[in-house]
Amino acid sequence: MSDTVEREPDAAAAAPFAMIAGDPQAMVCEGDVCFVPGAIAE
Amino acid sequence: MHPFAYTVSEPIKIDIWSDIACPWCYIGKRHLESGLASLGEQAPEVEITYHSFELAPDTPVDFEGSEVDFLARHKGLPEERVRQMLDHVTGVAATAGLDYDFEALQHTKTLKAHELLHFAKEQGLQLELTERLLRAYFTEGRHVGRVDELVELGAEVGLDAQAAREALDSGRFAAAVQADIAQAQAYGINGVPFFVIDGKYGISGAQPAEVFAQAITQVAGENAA
Repeated sequence: MSDTVEREPDAAAAAPFAMIAGDPQAMVCEGDVCFVPGAIAE
Repeated sequence: MHPFAYTVSEPIKIDIWSDIACPWCYIGKRHLESGLASLGEQAPEVEITYHSFELAPDTPVDFEGSEVDFLARHKGLPEERVRQMLDHVTGVAATAGLDYDFEALQHTKTLKAHELLHFAKEQGLQLELTERLLRAYFTEGRHVGRVDELVELGAEVGLDAQAAREALDSGRFAAAVQADIAQAQAYGINGVPFFVIDGKYGISGAQPAEVFAQAITQVAGENAA
């Protein structure tokens, strides 16, 4: 598993809602790791 | 005049994709609650629905060992790195009023927990059970992958124990769980927590309380226009 990951923004263009950017440091979890999107996996 | 003076006949719907085994989902839940509370009497009525998202479907129901053991030995992450990230999330959780205990945590598959959450939704107790399961998993070291323990936790929030057991044994909510996961995929939701405010705005991650407050205020204003 790579430590550094480049992530596509969540929610595909087909989603019926607009994304609110909010705090870019907000953590999300995928699989067994949690991370700041576009930054270093936690 | 109050900005929402002519509002709001329908509550604002908040759809949340999350997993019981997601530490930032519990923190994000607290931040959302804080954001709503910060609006005080101006807070519009909201209707919150949780949707299933299984972060790690390959997780065994019974794993002997700690969270560090799971991530370091089972998943191959560096142990020091695992300890650092658990310390970090524990600290952030504490600031949100949550007492995470990763030494006691019992890593498990959450599929049955999601099925019970759908049963609880049918019974009008989904929010209560969501809170109970998150607390059980992250702060009490309870095993939320076993039917017996899930039934016990469900009964604590008012679910009929026999009906809850039947719901889990029969698997009749398995399709609903998979439908939630499929909906997330259709929306391009790769990670959780993920919030959709009134079908209009998506919010990814355990955002600060003020982000939720601003989004909800914005939607309330738009609905009132």
